[in-house]
Amino acid sequence: MKLSTHVLEEIKELPAKYPQPRSAVMPALDLAQEELGYLTPETMTEVAEALHLDPGYVEGVATFYTLFHLEPIGKHRFYVCTNLSCMIRGAYEIVDHVKRQIGVERSDQVSADGLFSFEEVECLGACEYAPMMRLDHRYHYDLTAEKIDQLIAERRAPVPSPRRGEGQGEGLKRSPTPLTPTLSPKGEREKKPRAPRKKKSDG
Amino acid sequence: MAELRGSFGDQPHHILTSEFGTTDLHKLSVYESKGGYTALRKALLDMAPADITNEVKTSGLRGRGGAGFATGTKWSFINRDAPGPKYVVVNADESEPGTAKDRYIMENCPHMVVEGILIAAYAVGANQAWVYIRGEYDEPHRMLTEAIAEARAKGYIGPRPFGKDFPLDIRLYRGHGAYICGEETALLESLEGKRAQPRSRPPFPAVKGAWGRPTLLNNVETLATVPAIINMGGAEYAKLGTAKNPGTRLLTVSGNVRKPGVYEVEIGKTFRHVIMELAGGPPEGRKVKVFWPGGSSAPVLPESMLDMTTDAEALAAAKSMGGSGGVIVMDDSHCIVKAAHRLLQFYAHESCGKCTPCRIGQDWAVRTYERILAGEGSQVELDTLQRVSDGLQNGRCLCGLGDSGGWVIDSTLRHFREEYEDHALRHTCNVGKVAVSA
Repeated sequence: MKLSTHVLEEIKELPAKYPQPRSAVMPALDLAQEELGYLTPETMTEVAEALHLDPGYVEGVATFYTLFHLEPIGKHRFYVCTNLSCMIRGAYEIVDHVKRQIGVERSDQVSADGLFSFEEVECLGACEYAPMMRLDHRYHYDLTAEKIDQLIAERRAPVPSPRRGEGQGEGLKRSPTPLTPTLSPKGEREKKPRAPRKKKSDG
Repeated sequence: MAELRGSFGDQPHHILTSEFGTTDLHKLSVYESKGGYTALRKALLDMAPADITNEVKTSGLRGRGGAGFATGTKWSFINRDAPGPKYVVVNADESEPGTAKDRYIMENCPHMVVEGILIAAYAVGANQAWVYIRGEYDEPHRMLTEAIAEARAKGYIGPRPFGKDFPLDIRLYRGHGAYICGEETALLESLEGKRAQPRSRPPFPAVKGAWGRPTLLNNVETLATVPAIINMGGAEYAKLGTAKNPGTRLLTVSGNVRKPGVYEVEIGKTFRHVIMELAGGPPEGRKVKVFWPGGSSAPVLPESMLDMTTDAEALAAAKSMGGSGGVIVMDDSHCIVKAAHRLLQFYAHESCGKCTPCRIGQDWAVRTYERILAGEGSQVELDTLQRVSDGLQNGRCLCGLGDSGGWVIDSTLRHFREEYEDHALRHTCNVGKVAVSA
């Protein structure tokens, strides 16, 4: 998977927006991840070359932050908070339910249809609505098994139904454009496994 | 927007949230109809920069991010006349477990944040401000983006705000998931496009901050309070709260309470008032067992200390702190050892790896908790926890993340020794116990 020309052009324009060009590295990785779904060593090298940085440096940044994904993720990823405030209001039961319903065991797995993956995350800063999670760039509050089922069903439906829920309402409408990186269609992931990462020594 | 939870609207001692709940408060026209941007106008046209800083000093405002440093004093550290660029950097990386108040402010009243930033920037002589906002905060990011665009269209952000020859600009920068970025020097590293590992100080950010330039770093709530202080006057603001910790602050009350929410509280009220009255107390048939008074990093207090007041001095005397204002309440149906284990997992996960005691110690604690919770504990494990806790604290690490994990261990051990011994020595869990000592 190569970054498309227009994304590379966009990345090359980023450094000028900051007092020092290096600040562009995370916004650039964002653009790359948005296009390809996750970051491979090849992608990070492409980003590094576009920014005139060392590939090892870019990889060092990408591996530090949890929002950069180094493995394929589902089209819709459940980021379920399990920190204390959510934990004592049933977050682990929600995680178990998500796992069961999408048929995966671990955060590095993707559901068979490529649609879903999950991750337990640390506090997302919406503790008054615990248990809660982030899904498709939106917060979902007061989670129950039924709410999870509904969110999954909506995303499995061939025609996306209007999103409902309490995360946002009027005045906060956002266009229903795809918010998560679009992954290759079903099956393609198996055909194109990411290149094995070269083992490299630290520092 | 989701239904607001907490206290807001026109109630006594509501400074920040008195208009929260107003339809479309996030829009500039509505914010202005409620008196918005009068403080910026006053600051730019009627006040000298030093007067603004003095007004903030007079108010006694202390940083609401966690450390509680005197805001006006911090502003005065910036040499306004130093040549070259200076920056205001806004810490909107709210990640302290149990804390949601900055999100609440940014979603409900982004212009209040924008106005506070602009006043601060003028006061310290910075023409550009950067808001470092955590990557997961999609909605607050959108609200701030729109607010900045509106303020720009109105000329409040631009080359001549209110006709004043002082260009002001605000930019946003998104974080990418790292608790450590809430630490100010780690945040600066991240803003500069690096792995977020804290810097050693000195030099302090006021001298050498973002991109090597003098930088004022303030939390969202701190800056959101500034317009009110300019409007009402520092002396008037200082009448609220306690003498050493004036004002109101937003407490996020979460966990086992009937009405979790973000409550604006006059500093100095008791936690009993906050937890039992405002947040409705624990669920039917349950008792408060323990609470974290200021985010997960603030040492725990048992139920017997509910009458503790919310000001920094009282909390320090009880070996805790007001921190980020995240009040996490746990009732007697939950096990303190499991809670501490979960928090140590958090600190282990979020350790940036720079300082050995934190990198090794947090993980060591997690493994010790695992043995205890698996029924394989003994006195050795209890001693290990205490030793690791001691090794994490008291300046052995560059930033507070190390101490925070240590405080969780230390404070839960101190107040719930018997429960730890049940697990480690008797291999049972007797959830339902109350604190054995205070």
